[in-house]
Amino acid sequence: MTRNVGIVGGGHTKWGVREASYKDLIQEAGKATFEDVPDVTPDDIEGLFVGSVQPERFAFQTHVAPMVAELLGVDVDSMIARTELACASGQAALRYAWLAIAAGQIDTALVLGVEKMNLPREYTAEAQTSMANVMDREFDGVNGFNAPPYFAMIAQRHMHEYDTTREQLAQVAAKNKTHAANNAFAHFQKEISVDDVYDSFELSPPLCLYDCSGVTDGAAGLILMSEEKAREVTDEAAWITGSGQTCLGSNSINNLPSMSAWPQATKAAEQAYEQAGIDDPVDELDVAEVHDCFSISEIVEYEDLGWVEKGEGGKFIEEGRSELDGDIAVNPRGGLLGCGHPLGATGVSQALEVFNQFRGTVEPERQVPDPETGLIHNLSGSASVHSVMTLARGRP
Amino acid sequence: MNENDRDDADELRNGAEAVTDGGTDRDVVEIPKTIELPRLLDFYELQNEATTEIVEFYDNLRDGQLTTTQCEECGELHFPPRIVCPECRSEDLEYVDLPHEGELFAFSTVRAGAPMGMEEEVPFVTGIVDLGPVKLSARIDDAEYDDLAIGDPVEMKIVEIDGPVDHERVFYRFEPQE
Repeated sequence: MTRNVGIVGGGHTKWGVREASYKDLIQEAGKATFEDVPDVTPDDIEGLFVGSVQPERFAFQTHVAPMVAELLGVDVDSMIARTELACASGQAALRYAWLAIAAGQIDTALVLGVEKMNLPREYTAEAQTSMANVMDREFDGVNGFNAPPYFAMIAQRHMHEYDTTREQLAQVAAKNKTHAANNAFAHFQKEISVDDVYDSFELSPPLCLYDCSGVTDGAAGLILMSEEKAREVTDEAAWITGSGQTCLGSNSINNLPSMSAWPQATKAAEQAYEQAGIDDPVDELDVAEVHDCFSISEIVEYEDLGWVEKGEGGKFIEEGRSELDGDIAVNPRGGLLGCGHPLGATGVSQALEVFNQFRGTVEPERQVPDPETGLIHNLSGSASVHSVMTLARGRP
Repeated sequence: MNENDRDDADELRNGAEAVTDGGTDRDVVEIPKTIELPRLLDFYELQNEATTEIVEFYDNLRDGQLTTTQCEECGELHFPPRIVCPECRSEDLEYVDLPHEGELFAFSTVRAGAPMGMEEEVPFVTGIVDLGPVKLSARIDDAEYDDLAIGDPVEMKIVEIDGPVDHERVFYRFEPQE
């Protein structure tokens, strides 16, 4: 890429079961985002990228990007769109904003991710219907393939093939939910133990309720700038050093490459590492926000992001290598398991977390010591797509 | 948010009555108390000539045979069935029979949080069946999660779908072999 791009600010709503509308969440996140960078105003925004997955179902609203522009007073003069990539929609929005700036089309972009998932009545079926339709609805969704049973099967296959243990899954959930207990905006605010995971409702075995991310309302925003423009407003930024994304031409059960490995993640990570000049990710990455939609996901990601040999993911958590003081601090924010997963907002929130870790503005209990490099990762749908972005505190 | 809060929120969301209670001569706009699932939101695809170009797949299934498409140009076997070969873009596809028996490759069960239209079937077992030429997802009927294991032999059955559509619809499911 020809130009350096930095995240210069961002803001967050409180996440949870919010007594607020979709539009309320957008306004809260927009206000928080602009307040974080006082020298950037809505008038400076040239591109607006909105990550949101199912506003048609959850909020009965479409064409949401111009609605965001109106609510936040943004006159967009170059590009505006909503990105929909299921659970990675926020990261997709971030990726396209980066690309637009890096390519020299614009200098300043607003990325906003938002999802309103809790409806006043009988919301669970609504939300789960959306999740069941991320694969081929006609041949997979029809069989009740929403997220918990699908990822339960990933866990079952991974345990079958690699002897990953139920306890290792619970260790991931306990780690991330405990981080979230020290995160003011997180949906779940209680430290939990491995035993608490076992004791929770066995929703889709082998997964229990605490192995699953929540149904959460929330929004988050980021402002991205070219290096030249960023210099005018701030000394601190999270510089985007690499960004990869892969789909292997498959989305339905018969065509996915594996139920226990995500080669798409490996390819996307390799793209990002190469752009960033990262040779040894375990040695060079300090903090990572990865897509723990279910506890098993994080274990597969340790492997397929290239941090350990295939099948060794369970040991990575067991040996404490993903703890705050481990080789890579994984999901200090609390992850999707602890923060909840308002689909379109998650990737945006992860990137903001990495920036906040760089500038030392997170709660001290979950601050990683002096991080210089970070990574965000999201899978989407049936894990058919993987998106990886690397960030650095120092200008590339 | 506790249950009482949720009830309060419901009341606010259904606030039409509260408003008319306080008014004297306001018109009341009647909207349906419930909205039926639109036909495309019941999960099962429409299966007739007017709605899909893979109607032969469904006709074969109605006749008792699970089939899929194979490309006559490049030989690629597809599942789900296609109208254009994703490998070579040929439209010259033929329907070929798939085995009706296979092995359970993976499975779980849905004990809560089912999608719309499936809530009354909870709990149910769903899984992935390896038929040899293809792997497909399927509901596993007449089975308890705790009684199943990876590799168990399963066989296909065909179910009729009784829903809000005029034409006859069918789908495949699997069950443990006797």
